[in-house]
Amino acid sequence: MTPAQSKHAHVATIAAGEPWRASDDAPPAVEMRGITKRFPGVIANNQVDFTVKRGEIHALLGENGAGKSTLMNVLAGLYKPSEGTIWIHGERVDFNSPRDAIAAGVGMVHQHFMLVPVQTVAENIFLGVRETPFVLDYKQMAADVRRIGTQYGMPVDPNAKIWQLSVGEQQRVEIIKILYHGAQVLILDEPTAVLTPQETLGLFATLRTMVAQGKTVIFISHKLDEVLSIADRITVLRAGGVAETVFARDVNKVQLASLMVGREVLFRLEKPERAPGEVRLALSAVEALDNKNLPALRKLTLKVHSCEIVGIAGVAGNGQRELAEVICGLRAISGGVIEVCGKTVTNAAPIVMINAGVAYVPEDRSTTGSAPNLSLAENTAIKSYRDEPVGKGMFVKRNTMRTIAGGLIDRFNISAPSTATPVRKLSGGNLQKVILAREISKRPRVLVAAYPTRGLDIGATEAVRKILLDERNDGAAILLISEDLDEIFAIADRIAVLYEGRVMGEFASADADRETIGLMMAGHAADTAHTSPARNPEAAS
Amino acid sequence: MTAQSALGPTPEKTVTRLRIEQRMEQPTWLRYASPIILVGAALLVGALLLRLAGANPWFVYRQMFSIAFGSAYGWSDTTIKAVPLIVIGLGVALALRMRLFNVGAEGQFFIGAFMATGVALYILPTNAPAWLMLLAMGLGGFIGGAFWGFIPGILKARLNVNEIITTLMLTYVAVLWNNYWVYGPWSERGFGMTSTFPDNAWMPRFTDYAEQIPALRGMTAHFGIFVAIVLAIVMWILLRSSKWGFEISVIGDNNRAARYAGINLSRNIILVMMISGGFAGLAGMIEVAGVVHRLQERFSPGYGFTAIIIAWLAKLNPLAIIPVAYLFGGLLVGGDAIQPAGVAAMLQGVILFVVVGGEMLLTYRVRLEKVAVAA
Amino acid sequence: MNKRAIWSILSMIVLFSMLLGGCAVPAAAPAAPAADAAAAPAEAAPAEAAIQIPAPVDGMFNVAFVYVGPVGDAGWTYAHDEGRRYLEENLEGVHTAYLESVPEGADAERVIRNLARAGFNAVFTTSFGYMDPTATVAAEFPDIDFVHVSGFLKGPNFSNLFGGMESMKYLVGMIAGAKAQELGATQVGYIAPFATAEVVRHINAAAMGMRSVCPECTLDIRWTFSWFDPNLERESAASLIDAGAVVVITGADTPGPVQVAGEKGVFGVGYDSRNACSIDPEACLTVPYWNWGPEYVRLVQEMMDGTFVGSDIYFDVDSGSLGLLGFVEDQTPQPGVPASIVPQVQELLAKMESGEFTRFDVFSGPINDNKGNLFVPEGEQLTQSDLEGLKGIEGREDCTFCMSWLAEGVSPDAELPSGN
Repeated sequence: MTPAQSKHAHVATIAAGEPWRASDDAPPAVEMRGITKRFPGVIANNQVDFTVKRGEIHALLGENGAGKSTLMNVLAGLYKPSEGTIWIHGERVDFNSPRDAIAAGVGMVHQHFMLVPVQTVAENIFLGVRETPFVLDYKQMAADVRRIGTQYGMPVDPNAKIWQLSVGEQQRVEIIKILYHGAQVLILDEPTAVLTPQETLGLFATLRTMVAQGKTVIFISHKLDEVLSIADRITVLRAGGVAETVFARDVNKVQLASLMVGREVLFRLEKPERAPGEVRLALSAVEALDNKNLPALRKLTLKVHSCEIVGIAGVAGNGQRELAEVICGLRAISGGVIEVCGKTVTNAAPIVMINAGVAYVPEDRSTTGSAPNLSLAENTAIKSYRDEPVGKGMFVKRNTMRTIAGGLIDRFNISAPSTATPVRKLSGGNLQKVILAREISKRPRVLVAAYPTRGLDIGATEAVRKILLDERNDGAAILLISEDLDEIFAIADRIAVLYEGRVMGEFASADADRETIGLMMAGHAADTAHTSPARNPEAAS
Repeated sequence: MTAQSALGPTPEKTVTRLRIEQRMEQPTWLRYASPIILVGAALLVGALLLRLAGANPWFVYRQMFSIAFGSAYGWSDTTIKAVPLIVIGLGVALALRMRLFNVGAEGQFFIGAFMATGVALYILPTNAPAWLMLLAMGLGGFIGGAFWGFIPGILKARLNVNEIITTLMLTYVAVLWNNYWVYGPWSERGFGMTSTFPDNAWMPRFTDYAEQIPALRGMTAHFGIFVAIVLAIVMWILLRSSKWGFEISVIGDNNRAARYAGINLSRNIILVMMISGGFAGLAGMIEVAGVVHRLQERFSPGYGFTAIIIAWLAKLNPLAIIPVAYLFGGLLVGGDAIQPAGVAAMLQGVILFVVVGGEMLLTYRVRLEKVAVAA
Repeated sequence: MNKRAIWSILSMIVLFSMLLGGCAVPAAAPAAPAADAAAAPAEAAPAEAAIQIPAPVDGMFNVAFVYVGPVGDAGWTYAHDEGRRYLEENLEGVHTAYLESVPEGADAERVIRNLARAGFNAVFTTSFGYMDPTATVAAEFPDIDFVHVSGFLKGPNFSNLFGGMESMKYLVGMIAGAKAQELGATQVGYIAPFATAEVVRHINAAAMGMRSVCPECTLDIRWTFSWFDPNLERESAASLIDAGAVVVITGADTPGPVQVAGEKGVFGVGYDSRNACSIDPEACLTVPYWNWGPEYVRLVQEMMDGTFVGSDIYFDVDSGSLGLLGFVEDQTPQPGVPASIVPQVQELLAKMESGEFTRFDVFSGPINDNKGNLFVPEGEQLTQSDLEGLKGIEGREDCTFCMSWLAEGVSPDAELPSGN
């Protein structure tokens, strides 16, 4: 036990297992004792005791790399613990695969969904059924899916194809899938990371319905507000071990944050004044289609200046992805003009955009932003391998690549066993830092950051925001796409609200008003007079 | 209680069930040892079948081994078989590294041989210097194979047509094209073969130097083996250390990330398919210039298909392809001595089957378990 | 044991052996025997089925045979294997071994060389495609004797061996023509493997024999471009019959065409081995077959005596090495043979056996080609070089009426495949 841990011993501590025993004679839904999980060179969990009462929502809180996912992967049968014992509803279990765990009633919804995009909702749900009949009864399947959806307030169309669904809907499919498989204990790994605030509220309602009907929920998160609002009890993990288990009603945000990080945490960032410089990125009347060939951007006009962060506020699915992609050359535009630093680059190839100084922190870290099986060093070089010092002639200098990657690990505080580690083994936050490090190390003139702190813990979020601000202070033009209004207010200089592929309004963040922005995000933009003064920042300044 | 009941009533009973599940973590040593384990297991299964067929497996294996590797002649014969397998295997492995399944190497092999034959018999004069002749034939073979790889490549890159289907189908076209020429315009005496190449279109063989070094007499292995080894080393270096090799590893791991990083996917798909086909075509040239000395019908015992398995067993490592190709070459050479001929073919089939099936067992595992069938 | 399980395992094995044996379009020859060997139970040929690795036996005169097809083909290779067994039974101190289904070309050279290295005293190679490889290896091993069947090269220790099957094909043509006449039809079919001199002269002989009996008959041809391709041979037979042929003569290695003829209610003529008719005796008119045994015994005896010298050996009917099922060795004609033709065939065969009528008499002018032009004038006779279509072969005269034409009687629109 570290001194940091004992310092917080005054926070309402619960000896593992004690409260429920006093109030409830039923065995706990989950009891994990002395769980240790070692990976080559790393101890991910060290002697963890973890108990979840039947019918509670139990949050597992911790920074990235604290061991939350590993512990839950052990519980879900994906990993075998190196040491330790697990009881489910009082019965000792020994899982060799996720199927064993599901058979014991434990199901997990992973951060990355495991759905087949071209199949329907019902087909995906039936994929993992143990007693797959030879001939599938599609009607019955669809009816079952509908029934479960209604029962827990998660309406989905069983016949829709997965690729047609929003991320939030896909998550519902995952949840219905494990419910269908008979899960009594549901593990949700960072479920809100991909949801809008409204969707999050919907999910919470669903979770409450579930526990009311006797299910048990384990909720992995690092978002303090969320955890405090939904969980009954909270177990905080730090550095592979349990820091504390507390009742949500007994703690506040600051206490939780200190438990997680092991030190006091600041929630405010320093943001020095900077006068916006020349126009670095200009989109005029840009139009583009989405993957289903429907209009995604409609005559969108936007400018980003040097030394400026423009925050794009909006509900996911209103053209954010397409906006980022057209700027980076990954998506063709069907109308309009894009200029970078005064040069027209409409429909240029990605390499042209990269060479023009556009960097991009994409929304999908593992599917777009990185090559999961390649090493950390290689991932830091996937854009810079062409040029000195990594590239030389027709060769790449692997040693230089490693040295540079080592420097980035130090500078951006990335926690990874080595530069040779495949990035799929990194936590979400560390992967995000790798991507940011790569993008920023090229000293971009324009940086497009899509949801850069989504799924990151407090420490990492703080670091990422600071990095963005530093870049802005150094002169970069940054387009920040986020659904977290707090974040936009904290670091953006200007805010543009995106709705159905249009900019509904632009504000200087100093004079922006949350309520107006919230309404605009929902499409209520009638009051144009109110927004017009801020439309043109050049005129305003 | 929620959903399993929807599956219909299942009576309570205990059944023994075979379960296949992915291994949680595959130990590192297993990944490297697996080819050896698999080949060993394959030989065991083969032994069992030989035993059932009334033969002494130990005797058969010993004979096969001694024929393939037991003498300098054996090595020479095995080398002849290994060369096309190595060269094609390198091309197949390159494509596989980008997750492009070039299963049409057999067709590219035929087209390469066809082009090389055209150069040797109909384009260059018969008195052209040997170096020029071989160089031009090699170039012709490479270009022919590359063209045969270019078609599926461009279809994949531009229209996203599945390359497994196009490469396989083009194999049939190539074989029939080859048949047309060897039975038609280029036929010698109506047989499915052209006339023999002039001497300067023969790739040098070890036995050609028997006058200087008597020990080489009868060693018909040709210098194509040096080409194969050099290609393997060059490919290994390129994949490891070149910018292009780096691009391929990024594309192979995540082509979306590659596109995002500004790597030109279409160009690389086409390029890699062309090189992959070109290697197979070059192998075809080496085979006709080094071994067959003419173009004929069915001059490949399925090299293009065997090479896929070789590339895969070698874990796409260019250097590892060499020993694996020798192993399969030895299997072909050693198998020829067993009679009836069907037994050798069966044995080779069993070994392939076990190796392919066994790979699955090493990645997955099969468990027998008793389960109660109930809701 | 569970029968279904065995079958599924077997079929998987066959499937994979095809992957290795060559998935290329025409199901490559090595694959088919694998299927045969795996599927056919051991009782087919119990004595031979045991797995063996050809090796010389000390103290014996060791003779190895290289076959292009499987010994169970009931055709060309079967006939050679019959000869091999005859040799072993009739010559004291001889040990024989064979390798079947050896692909022609580069693999053949390796196989032949390995037999020589292994210590065999003599090697017989029994397909045209083995000619160059045999010549190459023969030059490397001067102490070993080589015999190549159906070619034209020779060396000090290397003979080529073949016989005048065209004489028998002439008789076959007569029988087929008579049968067509009896059935009131005019179409006869011929399955031809390659447009080689050997095959072409057999076609021409058959056509002329047919015309000698049935002047209004025509001979329709299908090329298979393979010596051994059971499927293609069957398909070709079906195609000929569908085009109106009432008798199908095969020049390829398997009795499949005879079987197809029986299935379609017409008649067939087999080739190569005396048992080719056993597949459907009712539908099979006759088989011109090879009787290699005596010739093998003669040659190996020479080798053992040390008197073997490489030469061109070409025997005719008078040697006793050629047979016509139903007309030799006290055999009776097959049931389908028209009685009217039997005396004529017997009469001519007797002349052949006595040496009075030879292959050169079959090919003596006047002969028209299939377009009706005079090709061989009255009074001219083809030479051995003409029959073999030899040109530019050292030690042999060049042909004048080279065997790359089709005789009258062959369907007028038939052409030889280009490239000759």
